[in-house]
Order: sequence, then C-alpha cells, then structure tokens
Amino acid sequence: MDVTAKTDFIGKDSPASSERPAIFTRPTAKTGLVSWLTTVDHKRVGLLYGVSSLFFFLVGGFEALLIRLQLAVPNNTLLSAQLYNELFTMHATTMIFLAVMPLSAAFFNYIMPLQIGARDVAFPRLNGFAFWVFLAGAVLLNVGWFVKSGVPDVGWFGYAPLTSKAYSNAFDGDMSTDLWVMGLQVLGVSSIVGSLNFIVTIINLRAPGMTMMRLPVFTWMTLVTAFLIVLSFPAITIALVGLMMDRSFGANFFEVSNGGLPILWQHLFWVFGHPEVYILILPAMGIVSEILPCFSRKPLFGYPIIVFSGAVIGLLGFGVWSHHMFTTGMGTVATAAFSLATMAIAVPTGVKIFNWIGTLWGGQLQMRTPMMFALGFVWMFMIGGFSGVMHAAAPADAQQQDSYFVVAHFHYVLIGGSIFSLLAGIHYWFPLIFGRKVSEFWGKLSFWVIFIGFNVTFFPMHFLGLNGMPRRTFTYDGNMGWNSANLIATVGSLILGVGIAVYFAVMVYTYFKGQRVGRDPWNGRTLEWSIPNPPPEYNFAVTPTVHARDAFWYEKHHQAEIAQEKAAHAQEEESHGGIHMPSQSWFPFLAAMSILAGSLFFTNHNFLGAICGGVALLVFVYLWAWEGPGGYHLHVDKDGNLIDEKRGGHSSH
Amino acid sequence: MTLPTLPRIPLRRAYQALVVACLPLLAGGWTSGPQSTFETEGPVAKSQLDLFYVTLWVCTVIFVLVAAVLTYTTLKFKANDNDPDRPPPEQSHGNPIIELGLIGASVMALVIIAVPTLRGIWYSYEIPENERANAYEVTATGYQWWFKFEYPQEQIDGAGNLLTANELVIPAGRPVRINLRTVDVIHSFWVPKLAGKVDMIPNRGNHLWLKADHPGYYWGQCAEYCGESHAVMRFRVIALAENEFNAWLANQKLPARKAGSVFASALDQPRIQFAAYTYEKQRRNAPGWSEAFDQQPFAAWKKQQDVTVNDNLELVAQGRKLFQEKTCIGCHTVRGHEGLGITGPDLTRIGARTTIAGGLLENTPQNLHRWLVEPNEVKPGNKMWFGGYMARNDKGEWAPTFTVNDNEARALVAYLNSLK
Repeated sequence: MDVTAKTDFIGKDSPASSERPAIFTRPTAKTGLVSWLTTVDHKRVGLLYGVSSLFFFLVGGFEALLIRLQLAVPNNTLLSAQLYNELFTMHATTMIFLAVMPLSAAFFNYIMPLQIGARDVAFPRLNGFAFWVFLAGAVLLNVGWFVKSGVPDVGWFGYAPLTSKAYSNAFDGDMSTDLWVMGLQVLGVSSIVGSLNFIVTIINLRAPGMTMMRLPVFTWMTLVTAFLIVLSFPAITIALVGLMMDRSFGANFFEVSNGGLPILWQHLFWVFGHPEVYILILPAMGIVSEILPCFSRKPLFGYPIIVFSGAVIGLLGFGVWSHHMFTTGMGTVATAAFSLATMAIAVPTGVKIFNWIGTLWGGQLQMRTPMMFALGFVWMFMIGGFSGVMHAAAPADAQQQDSYFVVAHFHYVLIGGSIFSLLAGIHYWFPLIFGRKVSEFWGKLSFWVIFIGFNVTFFPMHFLGLNGMPRRTFTYDGNMGWNSANLIATVGSLILGVGIAVYFAVMVYTYFKGQRVGRDPWNGRTLEWSIPNPPPEYNFAVTPTVHARDAFWYEKHHQAEIAQEKAAHAQEEESHGGIHMPSQSWFPFLAAMSILAGSLFFTNHNFLGAICGGVALLVFVYLWAWEGPGGYHLHVDKDGNLIDEKRGGHSSH
Repeated sequence: MTLPTLPRIPLRRAYQALVVACLPLLAGGWTSGPQSTFETEGPVAKSQLDLFYVTLWVCTVIFVLVAAVLTYTTLKFKANDNDPDRPPPEQSHGNPIIELGLIGASVMALVIIAVPTLRGIWYSYEIPENERANAYEVTATGYQWWFKFEYPQEQIDGAGNLLTANELVIPAGRPVRINLRTVDVIHSFWVPKLAGKVDMIPNRGNHLWLKADHPGYYWGQCAEYCGESHAVMRFRVIALAENEFNAWLANQKLPARKAGSVFASALDQPRIQFAAYTYEKQRRNAPGWSEAFDQQPFAAWKKQQDVTVNDNLELVAQGRKLFQEKTCIGCHTVRGHEGLGITGPDLTRIGARTTIAGGLLENTPQNLHRWLVEPNEVKPGNKMWFGGYMARNDKGEWAPTFTVNDNEARALVAYLNSLK
C-alpha cells in the first residue's frame, strides 16, 4: 500500500451543506444523550455494544443461576416446567446472540480499527445502524418478560414442529415464538450489516504498509468471523422466514400436517448453527493470540499457521453441521462423512494450542490478570476440545447427544473458551479504553473464583450426561444417581456467580476510582497501544506507517526513523485538509427504531402497522442516502492537541 | 496492591485438586445408575462404550502430554520480576518442522479414533447380517409425552397389531429392530444401557436396533426437547427369556380381564384391597418411586403380572362405569371392554404395568389416584388435562368439563388395577 493512494480519501470534502434542507442538518453534540444516539464513532459504538452485551451477560447469568437452583435437588418445585423451559431457551439465546456475539462485536468495533491504523470503520453510519438494530432485536427477544405471551420456550434451536402454532401456542394469539422468530431475524440484519462493514474496513482501510500478513491476529479473526457471519446468517434467515410464513400465513415449510419437513429446519439451522459456534470462539482465539505474545514479550509462534488455521476452521465449519444431527438417522455414509470432517477440525484447533504454547516457550511470562485469563482459556478450551473430539465419534455420540455431557462440552468451549477470553480482553484493553488499570489483586482474585466456580459447575456434568441425564429437563428423580453431581454443580454455579460479581464490581470501581495509567501500560506490540488513552476521537494524529508485524513493537525499537516518517506524513496530511472525520447522523437510529416498531406490529399480527414500520424504514434509509456522508476536518499539532476546526462544533479537548 | 502467593499457585495444582476430588466420586457412583451408559447390558451400547473409551484414552494421553508441556512452560519461563528494563527475549517467529510434525501427530491420533468410529457407525445402524433372521420387530411411536409400542408380528383377530404403552417388552438375547415414529413433535428413543438414542422425527421413518443380553428391567427416557413435560417423558424396557416372552404375548393378546374371573383360585392369595389405601395430596413434581421397587424392579414387574388378585367387584364395576362417564373412552381403549380412543395410551393391561403416567410414577393405587385427580400437577400441559378434563369455552379460555373427586378416583383406581 502506498501513502499517496490514500490522498483521495483524506482530501475530499462534502458538498456545502448550507444549501440543503433543514432535515439534513447534522447533529454535532459531543456529549449528552444526542451525542450517543447519533454517534458514528467506532469507539463509542464499541462501548455501546460492550455495555449492552455485558448487561445481557448478567441477565443470561441470572437465568442460568435460576436453572441451577431448580436442579439443585431432585423433584424441586422452585420453578414451574413452563418457566424452566422459558429460562433455558432465553439463557442460550441471550448468551449467544445478546452477550458473546455483541461483546465480540464491541472488540471488533473498538480495537480492530485501532489495530490497522484506521480513523474509523469504512461505513460509520452503518456501524451505528448495526448497533441500534442489535438493540431492537434484543428488545424483541426479551419483551416477552413483560407481556402476557411470555418469552420463547422452544429451545434455542427451535426444532420444528415444536415451533408450529399447534405445539407452541399456549393460547390463541400467543406470540412468544413469533418474538423469537422475529428477534433472531432482526439480530441477523445487525450481524450481517456489521460484518460487511468490518470486512470492507479491514480490506480497505489498513494503514500504509499493513499488509494482510502483518495484520494482528485479532484483526485476522475479526475478518474470518465477519465472513462466517455473512455466509452463515442467510441460512438461518431462510429458515426463520419459512417458519414465519408457516406461523403467520399458513405456509407449509415445516408444517408436518401438510407435508412439511422438520428435518429441513435442522439442516438449515445447523448450517448456520455450526459456523455460529466458530463465530463465538474465533474472536476469543484472536484475543488470546494478542495477549499471550504481549505478556510473553515475544511474537506469536507460527503466525502464518495460526492465521491459516483460523481460516481453515472457518471453512471446515461449514462442512460439519450434521454432527449436531448424528441421532436423526441420516444413514451410514452421511454420518461417516460428517464424523470424519468433524475430526478434521481438531487438527487446526490443535495447531492453535500448540502454537500458543510455542509462544510462551522461551518468553518472559508476566502473570498479569489478562495473562491469567488467557492461560485459563487455553486449559479450559483444551478440555472442551477433547470432549468435542469424543462427540465426533458418531456411535459414541449417540449416548452423549442431548445429554449433560454435551452441556458440559459446550460450556467448556463457550465459558472456558469464549467468556474467559472476552474477560481477558476487557482486562487487557481497559487501560486503553478508560485510561485506568484494574488492581492486580482483585483481578486475580476474580480470576481464581471464576476458574474454580466454573470447573466445579461444569466438570460434574460430564458424569451426569454419561450417567444418562438428558438436558432440558426441569426435574429428575432421586433414584437415578444424579443427586450429588447436580448439587455440586449448583454450588459451583453460585461460586461462579460470586466470581462474576467480583469481576464486574472491580470493573465498575476501576472505571471511577482506578489507578490512572499512561500510554502503553503493558508494553504492547500492536498499533492500538501507540495512541494516548483514552483514545482521541480521531485515533491517530498521524496515520501510522507499518514496517513489520507487531507494528508498535517495531516503532518502539526504531524511534528515530519513525519520528522522521511521522513528521513527513503529518505535513502531507495537513496539505490535504487535515484529519477527516465522519459526521454524526440521526438516520441510523431512526431506521433501526422503525424496524423495531414494524417487527412488534408484525409479531402482533397487525400487518398494517408492520407495513407502516417498513415504509418508515425505507423513508429513513432514503433520507440517510440523500443526506450524504458529510464529514469535517480536524487539525492537530504534533503533540496531538486540537488547534482548529472548520466545522463540527466545539472541542471536548 | 498485589497478593504474593495467589498468582503463584500454578494451574497444575488446581488440576491435581480437581482430579483428586473426582476419584472418590468415580468410585462412588457417578458412573452408575439406572440410565448409566457405563453399565451396558447389550452389544450396541457395549460397542458405543468401547468406542467412547478409545476416544477417552486417546484424548487423555494427548491431554496429559500437552498439559505437562504447558505446565512446564508456564513455570519455567515465568518472569520473576516485572523489570521493564530487562532486555526482551529472543523474538523468534516459529519453527515449521515442529509445527508440521505436530500436525502429523494429531492426524495420526485421529486415525486411531476414526477407524473404530467407522466400524461402529455401520454396526449400530443395522442388525448384522447373520443375526437378521432371528430379529424381532416392534414399532415405537412418540406422543407428547408418552410412548406407544406396537408389535407388527403379533396380530389380534379384529384388532390389528398388539398395542401397549410406556413399557416395551422384548425377548432377551434376540436383536430387536425398533421402528421409530412420532405423531406430533420430535422425540428421541433412548435406553442408555441397551443402545444410544435415535430421534423420532415426523415424516421420516427412522429405526434403531438393540439387544438385551439378559432378561431385565431397563430405564429409558425421551432425549429430545419436546415441549412442556419433556423432562417427565420416560419409559421402560423389559427383556424376557423366550418362554416368558411368549407367555406374556399370549396373555396380552387376550381381551381385557374381567374382574372376579380368577376370584375362586385367588382365595388363598393375600387380598389386595384397592379402596383401602390412604391418599394424601402430593406437591408438584413429588417423586413417584419407592426404594423397595427400585431394589428389585424386575421382580416387581413379574409380581405385577400376577393376575390372581382379589377385586372389590362392586368398586370395579363402578369404576368401569365412570371410565365411560368421564369420557376416558374417547382417548383410551380397553380392548374387550370399551373405548376406541387412540390418542391416549392403550389401557387393556394397565394393571400389569409397573409404571403409569409415561413411566413417571410407580403403579401404586396412591400414585394412580394422584394422576387421576390432578394430572396437570404430575405432568404439566398433558392432553388428559387440556382437552380431557378441561376444554375451551366460548371465549377460548380453558374451563373444566368435569372433575374427579376422591371417591370417583378410588373406583377408577380399582377398575384400572383390575386390568391385568
């Protein structure tokens, strides 16, 4: 990439806005509610994602605790069967779609542009839109808690025909399943829009010299994940639209009484559902691949093969979906094919583990809290990976499928894997985002409590499953040999809950009162650590030039050369009009709210209202396009202080 | 502020603690129970367990190796100080030989698992050729939330296939092919000690096969989430020696027993007074099994077959009348008495079963009473309650069509228990 190739991007100004109608006056507030509703800053969008996903993480965790309390003793009556079924459906849906995915998206938004030396994502308004649509989907899924219909109770993979009106409607007009169907579709819009944005950003907005094979691994995993989302969400959307047609207009995609095929739902769902598993774990692998080198003070071992493994996992992820369906009687050849393909995925996954250990080997391991969580991830993910290999042996899986063994497996992968890594990421990037550092004592304490609580909760579940306990059961009898393991698991879940509570209490405390730290507190290796914290809205005073993988590490060891280069670039950028910033806009928010309104009308079978919502969406998208990209310029001196602004309101600096 | 000791506890020690904690549990029963996949009683479950052990051993060996290296690395390369001025370690980027070698080793390990996996897939799918001639066939159909069992090889004049529910009786030592069907949503047929599960999917003809090595009494449970009462959709499989199985079949094919028909021969038997029990209202989800039954379930099942009981004829007659009046006959059939219902379990020999309510409760007068008086407390959302006891009124709300009071329940219990 050449520096001059970017001049076109930096230099253009939007047409004079004075001639445009008042509706196109761009909001310029930098603080207060309006500034957040209209924000296009990738860092603010990232924070919005982060805060809302952590809220839903706590909601999902609370649901999980209720589930564990019900199962603490046999024949418990704490929850009714109906409420229990709603809780496990919402626990899974919330954790997958409203906690882990958006928390990953928070990191994609906040960290990825900083890692590639960009000033924002490629489509800033679309980025805001993705968040508000996500929030609309989250409201749709959870609104059932406050209305008569109740929340969905069909399980997170909603197997037809249990989702049909005949089996899921407790009364005429019960719309709990409609809310689930619509909520997931809306979340799909958000995910696809966001992912396209990330793909374009990573391909087009890399700083000069940031070749693909110099990308930080987290950014690579963002790219792979974004492709997985773009390719897999259409499959579930097709299935959901079919189901919506069945439920709302009497179509027969999955309606058995009219010859529909429930097995088709399973194929469509898992063609999405298995890549979804990698959508949840690949960002986590990316975060760990950032933290381990940083705290080992040496580069990632076998970078090309780690990147390649991530891509291979993503690719193979589309060819193994039927291992979720080994018990559906697919026949011998199909079962064998999916069995072998699933085993094949263990190879690139194993490679990652080997290379992480290779990264540690010969390093100077600094056992800070993020490093503890990252090492915890490696251990827990290994266990989850091994139980995954056990599932791949299809005949053995016939005993494990839909039992607590599977519950143990995917919690090792999703908590021990994804959540540990995301918690590590929060610790790791907290000083960058808020300029404060979490106390090592409290950080490590929360790690050990979470680590112990997690294992005490989920390790016994392996035994429960192999001892014949099916999942999704609201009660069990005391004569099955499951009592002590269940009680221990419940005690463990309470410990885990305490650990999570400590973790978040410490985070909130640190946000207000934590120790302030300067730039680059961890001795980082990637570009996000090269900027002041908290990062200024324009990110980089001068667009960096990248000369090596671990770009910032290189900068720190070639300071004279870099300083010279930066001065030249600053001058060049100034001659093109200064730092170009995107303008805020109301339309992403308004368009997303029309989707929410239209969807709520649709689930109530008020089709006139739904059409109005759709029309409002079109109007706002049209105005959005007509409004134009906008934009304004900032000018900074060599210390990064703002010196003048042509447009765009007052400075907050 | 830092804590000097806490961070230094190596992960290994936590793991040792975990392993040590698990050992007594392994010995102490976490792997044994009525639905244990470790205590196999048939060749299909055995082959699946053997394969599981292959995967377990391969994974354990790799885990121990990798964990040892990881632990060593973590301890060996831990920086003892956070001195920022210390020169960084060598900035090495990888070693292709090691990486390719490890990929090769992983592939080899997977081949060890793959070969028996492929063998197992074909073995568990279809009864082996040489045993096929000896195979028996039954059809299992899932309902929300109970199982119907049909015997296509056993025809009854004027009534078609022999039918029963929730307790599948099979010949021991013979391979049994089970056709899997469903009338509503997806269920899954799982008898852990005999075979892994296969789903019952609408518009799809699935099957599995299993063989019980010995006569015995085995627990089964629906393994696919199928709605509100999925957790309490259970069943039993009873394997009988060939002669006992034939005797059972012969008895099953007879029309329902007339109460009092063995009265004379039963004079010396202990009297069972159906109306003599005391009934106490149970809380929701209350357990419906007893220690005595659990100790010797197979013996209990055999005892339950004994037709030499002493009926309270008046009460039985009253119960039979109630069985019609309370519209039970709309959904249930007592072949030879009355009822043409097919939406509920066949009750022709309900008194000879060891369980009721879809394998959930032990078949005692108290439990049957409880099931009849408050079905929705036992199995929430069931069709006997919604659609039987309750119906939609003009406003579309559920409203009671009838209730079963204490005395009526006693009569019904007497009648149903007489159906041996």
